[in-house]
Amino acid sequence: MDGIETRGVVVIGGGPAGLAAALGAKRAGAEDVLLIEREQRLGGILNQCIHDGFGLFLYGESISGPEYAERLAEEAAREGIRAETGAMVLDLGPDRLLRVNARSGYRIIKASSVVLAMGCRERTREMIEIPGTRPAGIFTAGSAQNLVNLQNVRIGTEAAILGSGDIGLIMARRLTFEGIAVKGVFELMPWTNGLERNVRQCLMDFGIPLELSTTVVEVKGRDRVESVVVAAVDGDLKPVPGSEREVRCDTLLLSVGLIPENELSKRAGVELSPVTGGAVVDETRMTSVPGIFSCGNVLHIHDVADFASHEGFEAGAAAARFARGELPSVGTIRVIPGLNVRYGLPQSLRPGTSGAELNFRVTRPLRGCRVTVTGRSSGKVYFRKKYGRLLPSELQKIRIRPPVDEDIEVECHE
Amino acid sequence: MSDSLSADRLTCILCPVGCELEVRRSERGLDVQGHRCEKGIGFATEEVLYPKRNLATSVPIEGSETRLVSVRLSDRVPREMIFPILREIAKLRPVAPVRRGQVLIANVLGTGVDVMATRTVG
Repeated sequence: MDGIETRGVVVIGGGPAGLAAALGAKRAGAEDVLLIEREQRLGGILNQCIHDGFGLFLYGESISGPEYAERLAEEAAREGIRAETGAMVLDLGPDRLLRVNARSGYRIIKASSVVLAMGCRERTREMIEIPGTRPAGIFTAGSAQNLVNLQNVRIGTEAAILGSGDIGLIMARRLTFEGIAVKGVFELMPWTNGLERNVRQCLMDFGIPLELSTTVVEVKGRDRVESVVVAAVDGDLKPVPGSEREVRCDTLLLSVGLIPENELSKRAGVELSPVTGGAVVDETRMTSVPGIFSCGNVLHIHDVADFASHEGFEAGAAAARFARGELPSVGTIRVIPGLNVRYGLPQSLRPGTSGAELNFRVTRPLRGCRVTVTGRSSGKVYFRKKYGRLLPSELQKIRIRPPVDEDIEVECHE
Repeated sequence: MSDSLSADRLTCILCPVGCELEVRRSERGLDVQGHRCEKGIGFATEEVLYPKRNLATSVPIEGSETRLVSVRLSDRVPREMIFPILREIAKLRPVAPVRRGQVLIANVLGTGVDVMATRTVG
């Protein structure tokens, strides 16, 4: 077709998953790998995550987000991957036709395979419906992180944080370093959504209170936030009348969840999971649309960037195989989340797959539990392991060694 | 930073088992409970008696379109050094170009640890 550029593997998004996917595709033999990134700089969210704790799995040392991003980007450059920054994919079709607005102008690309790596977005105040006025001073934790770490903006003097996701915890410490008093972190659930080490190193180290089963029921202030009203919640997560308390602050940070950014995936007709918010995939990370793969936070929310990259390497390698015509069908064996399991990923396997890596997340904190994977028709136990405890905030990875030829169910017995 | 805890609960992070440790201070030293292996004692002792941390912040950089360069420590330091080191870092005004890993303050406050840039600013 005239005027249409043809490419091998096209990766959308240049964060920890996309960079790894491009590398994975190249290392698996793809000749022509194109990475498309909307921002001017590769790295995605890593660039604003200046704290350390990245790279423990990928590089065997604890480094910061920007270092992790630069290392991956340097590897990509060294291995001949073409990366276009400042370029945005406007549309993606099921036929793997991409409409791209790049620095050089608008163009249409036909890809042999596509890897989705667009990451996620933060849940906003509107999505959780906090009543009250609409003053300045309310930020999602990630936008506050961008302003403080990249743009040198002082966002306030006294802050309250709603939600105990990792970015909120990291920002509690970061604001403390910048001389902003953090009055407390308020979490709706009876447990924290962040990693244990972050609760310890970001809150306890600085005496910042973490109040569980508590939420913000009102924001006060006309031009700028003047205070927030917090209240305890009952077992149904409804505020308990009479428990309200006013917390003086001029800044409210929201760390209330992340949502995979799948607008392009929907345009391409990719089937999405209502539980993860990301694509339904098989063990190669191929979606319901042949030749379109997904990895990183656009697939499901990860707690560790290294795991997003790990998924990227695998998805990229599989995309390279598809581009060569080696991966015809999608998985038909279902992976079913059972007792106490919120989701399992991949959601399907190709028949006869052995050694498949399975990710899962539990619905609530569990102690002294046994994880089993059993065959739906034969009752055969494919995997069994004991855990001291499992937390919803920690993504678990297990490997199913025997070949699987029937639907399997993942369960956590307490 | 409160170190006045007489009893402390922590989760051992040395392996995926994640033992929940309870640590009590007594005149004889530390009493650790809940560990399923000996490594838990060492972990709890360091975390309760001599906690060490890394720290990250960013400082204004001159001579570039980029406003800030992020920095961290080359290794962990005793936790009580966090704020004194932050005050030293606040005095920094590096000039571009700065490369990733470049030492901006060597042996900060005699800790044996360097303050280093964590990104490249051209």
